[in-house]
Amino acid sequence: MRNLIAIIVKEVKELVRDPKILIGVVLMPIIIFPIMGAAIQISQESVERAIMGASFAVYTDDDGLVTDALLSYLYRNNTVVPVDAGSLEEALIGFKETDSSAMIYIPSGYNDNITLGQKGVLRVYANLRKLNMAETQSTNVVSSLITVYNYYFSISRIRNLLAQTGSVGTPEAVRSPIEIRYASILKGNVLDIPPNAIFSLVMGQSIMLPIMVMMMVVFAIQMAATSIALEKEQKTLETLMTLPVSRLTILAGKLSGSVVIALAGSVSYLIGFGFYMNSAFSFVPEATTMNISDVDIGITPFGMVLVGVVIFVTLVSALAMALSVAVFADNVRSAQSFTGVLITPIMIPAIVLMFSDIEMLPQSVQWLMLVIPYTHSIIATKAAFLANYVVVVRSILFISVWTLAVLYVAAKIFSTERIITARFTLGDFGKRFKRK
Amino acid sequence: MPVYAIQARELTKYFGRTEALRGASFTVDENEIYGLIGPNGAGKTTALRIFSTLISASSGSAQVFGFDVARQPEKVREILSYLPEEAGAYQQLSGLEFLEFMAGFYSSNKTGRLSIVEEGKRISGLGDRLQDRVNGYSKGMKRRLLIARALMMKPRLAILDEPTSGLDVTQSIHVRNMIREYADTQGVTVLLSSHNMLEVEYLCSKVALISNGIIMAEGSPDELRGRYGAKNLEEVFMEVTRSA
Repeated sequence: MRNLIAIIVKEVKELVRDPKILIGVVLMPIIIFPIMGAAIQISQESVERAIMGASFAVYTDDDGLVTDALLSYLYRNNTVVPVDAGSLEEALIGFKETDSSAMIYIPSGYNDNITLGQKGVLRVYANLRKLNMAETQSTNVVSSLITVYNYYFSISRIRNLLAQTGSVGTPEAVRSPIEIRYASILKGNVLDIPPNAIFSLVMGQSIMLPIMVMMMVVFAIQMAATSIALEKEQKTLETLMTLPVSRLTILAGKLSGSVVIALAGSVSYLIGFGFYMNSAFSFVPEATTMNISDVDIGITPFGMVLVGVVIFVTLVSALAMALSVAVFADNVRSAQSFTGVLITPIMIPAIVLMFSDIEMLPQSVQWLMLVIPYTHSIIATKAAFLANYVVVVRSILFISVWTLAVLYVAAKIFSTERIITARFTLGDFGKRFKRK
Repeated sequence: MPVYAIQARELTKYFGRTEALRGASFTVDENEIYGLIGPNGAGKTTALRIFSTLISASSGSAQVFGFDVARQPEKVREILSYLPEEAGAYQQLSGLEFLEFMAGFYSSNKTGRLSIVEEGKRISGLGDRLQDRVNGYSKGMKRRLLIARALMMKPRLAILDEPTSGLDVTQSIHVRNMIREYADTQGVTVLLSSHNMLEVEYLCSKVALISNGIIMAEGSPDELRGRYGAKNLEEVFMEVTRSA
C-alpha cells in the first residue's frame, strides 16, 4: 500500500508540475470558459442596451380614428421619431438620416380597411447600416409592439361584435377557440406539466451527467497515455520496472494518478463551464419556475451510487486501454496521437445519445453502438436518472466484463517484456500499407 | 556448488529473427566488478536487461545469487539495482524528491529511508542543487543523481549500463570512484558494460569481451593482456574481434 501511495504521489506531482498539463487540463477550462462567457455577456449586454435605447420612426399617409389609435399606442412609452415628409420616398430619405433602425409606414387606406372589416397593412422598413444583431432586434421590437396591439385591438373588436349580435362567449375564446393543456406521465404518475418543460428541467442533469462522465474519461485517457509516454520519453520506465514493487502496483499507481488529475480537470471544466453558462446565458429568462424535486425526477441516492460505479468501471477500462496503447508509443506526442484514436469510440456514443435514445436509432446502428462499451456508460447514467435500475445494472455488468478484459491485457503487457520492447509508430503503419 | 552473484548459462535472446545473444555463458563472483565490453549491437545491453528482469531469455538460464531471473524476478529485484544506458530521472521532481521516491521502495521505516537518502546525497555530490527540479540539471548532474540512486541502497548487485556515457573527465572520475568505493567497502557486486576500455581496465577485476552475442574471451585484464600479448584491453579487443 505504501508503495502504491508513493507511486500515486509521484504520478500526480509529475503530471501537475508539467506546465502543459497544469495549464491545458487544470487551469485553462477555469480561465477560458469564464472569459468566453464574459465576452458573450458583454456583447449581449451591448445589444440589449442598443435595443433599449433604440428608437423607431413612424410615417403615415393615412388618417382616421383607427390610425390615430395606433399612433397614440406607438407614441406611448416608446422613443418614436415622427418623419415629416410629402411622400414615402421623401420619408425613407429622412428615415435614413435618423439613428432609428426601423420605420413603421402606415399606408393610405389602413383606417378604411380595418373599419370595413378588412386587413389593415403596415409596412416596416429596417435600415441595415451595420448589419449587427441590434438592428434586427429593433425590428423585432416593432413587430412585438404591433403583435400586442393586434391582439388587444382584435379582442376589442370581437367584444363589440358579440355585443352587437347578442352572441354568447368571450372574445378570447372566439379569437382562439381551442386550447391545449399538456400533461406528462412520468414514472407512472400523471403530472399537469408540459413534457418540454420537464425535458428542459431534466436536460441539465440527464444530459450533462453523461457528458461529464465522458469528459472525465477523455481527460483520464490523455493523462494515462501521457504518464506512460513520459516514462518512456524520459527513459525512467526501465528503472521503474526493476524496482522491488509488483508490476500490478505500478499499473494501479499509474491508473490512480491519472484518475486524480482527470478529476481535477473535470472539476475545473465544470466550474469553468458553470461560469460560462451563468454569464453567457444570463439574459435568457428562466423557462420554468418548477423545482426538480416537485416533479420527483431527481436522481436517488441509490441511483447516485450506481452512477458512481458506472463512472469507476468506465474510467478504469478507459485508463487500462490508454496505458496498454501508450506503451507502444515512443514519446508523448505519438502517445497523444494514439489516444486520439481511442477517444473516438468514446465520443461517438456521447454525441449520438445526447439527444436521442438507443431505441430510436435504426436497428443496425443500435447493434453497432451497443458493441462500443462506452455506449453502455451513457445508457447507464441516463437510466439511473429515470430509476431504471435493471438497465443500469445490466450496463454495469457489460462494462465490467470489458474492464476486466482490458485490465487483463494491461496487466499482461506490464508483466512481460512488451512494456519495454513494444514499439509502434504511425510510420510503421505507413510502411506496411505501402508494402501491401 | 558455489553460489555466484551472476551465472549465465547458454543464454540466447531473439528479437523477431534477430539473434541478440547466442549462447552466452559467464559467471560473476560476489564483490566482483565484472565488465562486459564489446561494440554496439554486441548484446551487452540485452544481457544486462535479462539479469535486471526486464526481458526474458529465449533459452538458457540466468541466475542472480541463486535466484532464477525468469522464475523469481521479485526476489531478484529486491537485491539488485539497475542503471540503464542514457537513463533519465523524473523531470518535474527535485533531485531530492527523486531520491526519496526511490528510497521508499527499499526501506519500510522512516529512519531507513532517511539513511538511504543521506547516502544518495553524499554519492551524488550535488549539494543544494538537489533541491532543484531535475529538468534544470545538466547531463552530468543527472548521471550523478542516477548513479547515486543506483548505489545508495547498497544493493547486493548493481547492474550499470555504460555508467559514464556522455560524461566529462571530472564527472567520469567521480562516478568511477563511487563504483569502486561501493564494491570495496559495501560489498556491492557490479556488472557493467562499457565502450571505454580504460574505464574497464581501471574498474573491473574480470572482463568478458562480447561480439555478435557471443562471449569471445573472458578473464582478468592482466590475464587477457598476457593471453593475447597486448599492451592494453583495446589491443586485446582488436585481436579478439580480428581472429573471430
